[in-house]
Amino acid sequence: MIRRVFRPTDLARLWPLLADGALAMAGGTDLLVRRRGQAAVDVALLEGIGELAEIAAMRTGLVRLGAMASHSALAASRLVTARLPVLARALLALGSPQIRAMGTLGGNIATASPAGDSLPPLYALDALVELASRHGRRRVPLAEVILGPSRTALSPGEIIAAVLVRPPVSGSLQHFEKVGRRSALAIAVASLAAVIETDAAGRVASARLAVGSLGPTVLRCPAAEAALAGQRLTPDVLQQAAGHIRAAVSPIDDIRATAAYRRQVAGNLLLRLAAGE
Amino acid sequence: MPDNLSPRADALAKATGTERYSADETPPGCLWAGVRRAGIPHGLITGLDVAAARSLPGVAAVLTRADVPGTNRQGIVHKDQPVLCGRHVRHCGDAVALVVAESRDALAEALSRIQVECTPLPGVFDPEAALLPDAPAVHPGREGGNRLAYGLVEKGDAPGEFAAASDDDVLVAGEFHTPLQDHVFLEPPNGLARLTPAGLLDMVVSTQAPFRDRFEIAHALGLDPMKIRIRAPYLGGGFGGKDGATVQCLLALAALAVPGRFIKMAWSREETFLAGYKRHAATVRLKLLAKRDGTLRALAGTMLFDAGPYAHLSGEIMALGMEHAGGPYRIPHTRVEGSCAYTNNPVGGAFRGFGVVQAGFATERLMDALAVRLGRDPAGLRRQNALKPGEHNCVGVMAEAGTDTAACLDAVMAHPAWTGREAWKQAAPAFTRRGTGLVAIQNAMGYGRGLPDAAAAKLELTRQGTFRLYNSVPDMGQGNASAFVAMAARALGQPPQAVSCVQPDTRICPPAGSSSASRTTYTFGNALLRACRAMRDKLLARGALALLCDTPERLELIPGAVSDPVTGRSVPLARIGMMLCRDDRICVDQYIMPVVDHPPDTGREFKLGFPHRFYSYGACLCAVEVDTLTGTVRLVKCLLSVACGRVFSLSGVEQQLQGAAAQGAGLALFEDIGLTRGRMRAGDLSTYLIPTALDLPDIECLALDDDEPSGPLGLKGMGEIGIHGPGPAVAQALYDATGLWVRHLPVSPREVLEAMGGPLS
Repeated sequence: MIRRVFRPTDLARLWPLLADGALAMAGGTDLLVRRRGQAAVDVALLEGIGELAEIAAMRTGLVRLGAMASHSALAASRLVTARLPVLARALLALGSPQIRAMGTLGGNIATASPAGDSLPPLYALDALVELASRHGRRRVPLAEVILGPSRTALSPGEIIAAVLVRPPVSGSLQHFEKVGRRSALAIAVASLAAVIETDAAGRVASARLAVGSLGPTVLRCPAAEAALAGQRLTPDVLQQAAGHIRAAVSPIDDIRATAAYRRQVAGNLLLRLAAGE
Repeated sequence: MPDNLSPRADALAKATGTERYSADETPPGCLWAGVRRAGIPHGLITGLDVAAARSLPGVAAVLTRADVPGTNRQGIVHKDQPVLCGRHVRHCGDAVALVVAESRDALAEALSRIQVECTPLPGVFDPEAALLPDAPAVHPGREGGNRLAYGLVEKGDAPGEFAAASDDDVLVAGEFHTPLQDHVFLEPPNGLARLTPAGLLDMVVSTQAPFRDRFEIAHALGLDPMKIRIRAPYLGGGFGGKDGATVQCLLALAALAVPGRFIKMAWSREETFLAGYKRHAATVRLKLLAKRDGTLRALAGTMLFDAGPYAHLSGEIMALGMEHAGGPYRIPHTRVEGSCAYTNNPVGGAFRGFGVVQAGFATERLMDALAVRLGRDPAGLRRQNALKPGEHNCVGVMAEAGTDTAACLDAVMAHPAWTGREAWKQAAPAFTRRGTGLVAIQNAMGYGRGLPDAAAAKLELTRQGTFRLYNSVPDMGQGNASAFVAMAARALGQPPQAVSCVQPDTRICPPAGSSSASRTTYTFGNALLRACRAMRDKLLARGALALLCDTPERLELIPGAVSDPVTGRSVPLARIGMMLCRDDRICVDQYIMPVVDHPPDTGREFKLGFPHRFYSYGACLCAVEVDTLTGTVRLVKCLLSVACGRVFSLSGVEQQLQGAAAQGAGLALFEDIGLTRGRMRAGDLSTYLIPTALDLPDIECLALDDDEPSGPLGLKGMGEIGIHGPGPAVAQALYDATGLWVRHLPVSPREVLEAMGGPLS
């Protein structure tokens, strides 16, 4: 499964390893499972490269989330819990304490699963992904990095260095809900992340909605977002937007749920906002 | 209440990781054995090419059917399961070839190089269809076709009662389905074997039945059972899934092929799902007749068990299910027919609750149906019909004296979770519906008539003046070994530290039955207490020699010594230990569980294991919260009462109830193997979901005052009963919360959501 293990301590030492065919390994929670029974490969651990794990507010107003920050570190970060609670809630629903301690934000993106729990909040936050390689760095919107199940736009030799998000204005509604078949160690059957800014009268100034496990990738729902704009979050308004979500998704039948159930629940999850967050 | 099991004798070693399980036995240089499995549910092997595997470096042996001596047939009672398939493959997990290699890598490589060519045969996957005349034969040429077993139990004249029903009576009927269930023990099946130069087959196995294993292996491979030694260290869980051969015969075969070498076999989780035994899926059709005042009159129906392709204990499991089909209720007229069908699904076998899970779900659901029809409170209706001591159960066996079902129901009905259920339901938060269910549960103890439920216990005084007890019944985590230490310490008046425990080893322990059937602590405990009494008498008599006492009955066994209260003198046990030869330092005694004295003339098809004499009783409350947007069901309260004789250890009783109820909750709400035409879609732990700690409430237990005079220190077995509660109690609670009428388990969020909002588009 694993042949040689390298642990570079800076990016300069990483690039030649990747060029020689080593696989970049973050927390390993997905990679090691996928490599079971496969031909042996070299791996280059990213854990020794300190800059990749930093969580910091930047002068530009963006928050920089290092790709190697673990889910548990992010969920415990004051910056994340205070300014990005939608992400913190999602991370606490991910896997188990052990998985959260090992797994990383960058890894969750690189795995590119439609059920990746961190992804709906990042889509709803319009996250940018910073990609790095020996040739330099580039920033790409998350939705352009993830192409499909297990498919990303990363070039050979390129890694995810960080995620950049602009925190919503304070007072915004940040909501996340995951439907799984059990309360831990469950792959999402459906999930919803919502980031909604309202005016003083309680009307929606902007709504960003993203759903997971309801198509080949996490999906934003512009029609549902538009249906909320200018409205109060009443049951009727939400019901109408829920219809747009159900129309936008393309769920599948699998061992966890039927497509019909997923479609119904995809809309239903929005109705919970009527309870008043 | 003082707890005799705190701390458990195994606590420190397990908490610090020093306890050695079978899986820990990997001697330097040991070989690895593994199995190539069929991968198709039904077919004929037309080609099996092992040359490429055999020629691989590091491969010690590749064995096929032709290399199996003996009958090549394993099975606990009915010997119908091949060790290695010759021509006919009957389920996906069937073993086709066995490889022994120097390393796990070489083993994996060799297994992948075996070429198996199979011609698929039409399979039979529905037990109902399996019994039709034109169904594909799982065992061609077998008399009886796919009907593996049939049985009838009856009492009174149920057909006559149903025929005579009038407008003053109420009839309810239903068809209920319970699914396959995997045991999901933590330690997968594994073992270590070596054929010694002296010709002894020496094995360490994660097994619930070391003494019987010798005979099962010997029969399959044509060996002398007395030349097989089995050791059974603590198991990392068993739940019935290690009762009967898993690795045993395969590992023994490997050891014969490579004499002198240690050989280890350890199934992966996926292989355990594929090849391990499962709880039988069952379809139960019952009808129940009652008077308008709620008095039960008659019960009739059928139970159909999906055996998979091999018998294991299917017939015995069915028999126990039929014996429990009347619940712990007073029903004058009963008639229940049972069948087991061979299919090409996974192999059905023993699992905690052994047929009773399947029966209890149906019976309790019918009691709910009756309560709804009569507009009665479901608990009160059960209370009205609860079987009392001296009354006859549904197969005509008289209930023993002791705390009964009514008391168990009363204890739960008096709890705030029941008395306050309406207020709690009304206080449900937004998007949430709440409901509560309460059911009665029961489980018989022991093997039943027809075979001795026996154990022999050996106790040794060491030369250091301490005691060593030889446990003959494996401890798979339920704590029996610790209970035995505590019982012996108490009976001998010694501190628990003065009693050590040897785990089962057929070479040095006297024989006992399996770790199963809620029998372990009762039967072995009785044997052990007898051995302790013999030891006490012996020590007083031998102590009398040293104390020059002509009336040993006046002597006392005190911690570490025999003392003479008259003279004030004492002799240390170490002195007695040094004085005696080894034979004289050992006491062995035995016990066989009493059986029903005058068995009713029914269940004539059942040669083994019918009927049973002793039962534990209980009641179970479950409360659920249902999310109206997702249909997700949360089990938020679970409360069990139990009457199981005297409580030797409250923590021991609670742990068994909690573990069993958790497994029952898994069956009710989570576990779905996704069987499609003989193949499991959920064959690993990422898809086959068992509840986690976050999915279970704190499970509250009420152990009632009770006494079973025949039991060791008055106790009865209770390792299984708790599993029967959550299935029917959750079903009742869901009706209370949503109006969904559950007929099958597990319940999916989709069904719940539909029940609340109409069918999904």
